[in-house]
Amino acid sequence: MATVSVTTTAISASQPLAASELAHACGADTEWVVQLVEVGIVQIAAIEAPPEHWRFSSTDLQCALEARRLERDFGVGLDAAALILDLQHEVRRLKAVIRAHGLR
Amino acid sequence: MEFKDYYSALGIDRTASEEDVRKAYRKLARKYHPDVSKEPDAEKRMRDINEANDVLRDKEKRAAYDALADRVARGGHPEGDFQPPPGWDAGFEFHRGPNQGPADHAEFSEFFSSLFGEAERRGAARRNYRARGEDHHAAIEIALEDALNGAEREITLRAQELDAQGRPTFKTRTLSVKIPPGVHPGQFIRLAGQGMPGHGGEPAGDLYLEVRIAPHRLYRIEERDLYMTLPVTPTEAALGAQVKVPVPTGGVVEVTVPRNARSGLKLRLKGRGLAGKQTGDLYLLLDIALPPADSEAARKAYEQLAQASASFNPRQHLGV
Repeated sequence: MATVSVTTTAISASQPLAASELAHACGADTEWVVQLVEVGIVQIAAIEAPPEHWRFSSTDLQCALEARRLERDFGVGLDAAALILDLQHEVRRLKAVIRAHGLR
Repeated sequence: MEFKDYYSALGIDRTASEEDVRKAYRKLARKYHPDVSKEPDAEKRMRDINEANDVLRDKEKRAAYDALADRVARGGHPEGDFQPPPGWDAGFEFHRGPNQGPADHAEFSEFFSSLFGEAERRGAARRNYRARGEDHHAAIEIALEDALNGAEREITLRAQELDAQGRPTFKTRTLSVKIPPGVHPGQFIRLAGQGMPGHGGEPAGDLYLEVRIAPHRLYRIEERDLYMTLPVTPTEAALGAQVKVPVPTGGVVEVTVPRNARSGLKLRLKGRGLAGKQTGDLYLLLDIALPPADSEAARKAYEQLAQASASFNPRQHLGV
């Protein structure tokens, strides 16, 4: 069995994703990414910059993928998806705090 | 490979309408969502439900799956030894349209990927428009040490392809993935050109691997910070001490336990956590371990301690 070596890039502050790449990774178009920015599901440094200058992190990709699934599986709007994601992150953060204090 | 009954996974029968599938999925997703569920096997159930939903909500996949289930019911097969019959999906075509969302089959079973993984790849190759291939998503679980120090890992991707005689065979691709040092949970590693093939001569999509860190024997992860329980003796806690502590990047450091340290005290080793915008810290949670009073000498020592600290009442705040 042949092993293929491939180029890997860790998505980070120094190697972020462009809006078109974020859209493609989610099976969506750039217009959808603009909507994500508008409702605050993904964060950009300056909203006045044109979308081709936007840069996204791994966290943004994770949030965008989750929003896409919520849209598809539950038919929710992006405003509701943003709220669901905020609540989900808060639950995870609190659970981690509980674990770190050895309470569970 | 086990034949998966997608209808029973969603608790519906073959006559269920599209609306029934949607309702059943949403109800079960609320019950088994790992963030809210109290069920012990919530994560596995959620994966099964997601997989069943992916097939049954899609008219094309559902029709092909139904036909396959009929053939299996007629032919019978030993439990847990299912292989899809050759040409099981003849006459069916699977489309992944631009608005169907990510092709995120990473968490789905071998049964799913052997049926629909390659069928989707072939479907993509047949369509006559030009577009870059879809990106694929998978997860890679690595040890905490590998996340901190970097590593090279091999991942194996399985897909079904037709051989020269048109029979389905499994094709295994092994990719060697370089994990850069300092990755954190939830970070994505992109493998250029390892997604779905492009359409009409356009380039292939990419494969995104989401980093997960395996539970560690010593360290717990909270965002970028690491937590470790550090056992100390009552003497070390009372009088203060220098103790040796292993750090996740390898090696051992010496840490000062302050005098009169109590159980649960947090000692911080700055910058010894996971990398990120702000590098995390390593926290040591002090846990006072009592030497057992299992010898005459130890019992005597405890009695002497009791006499020396006769005025100490740990239950004073209880009013007793």
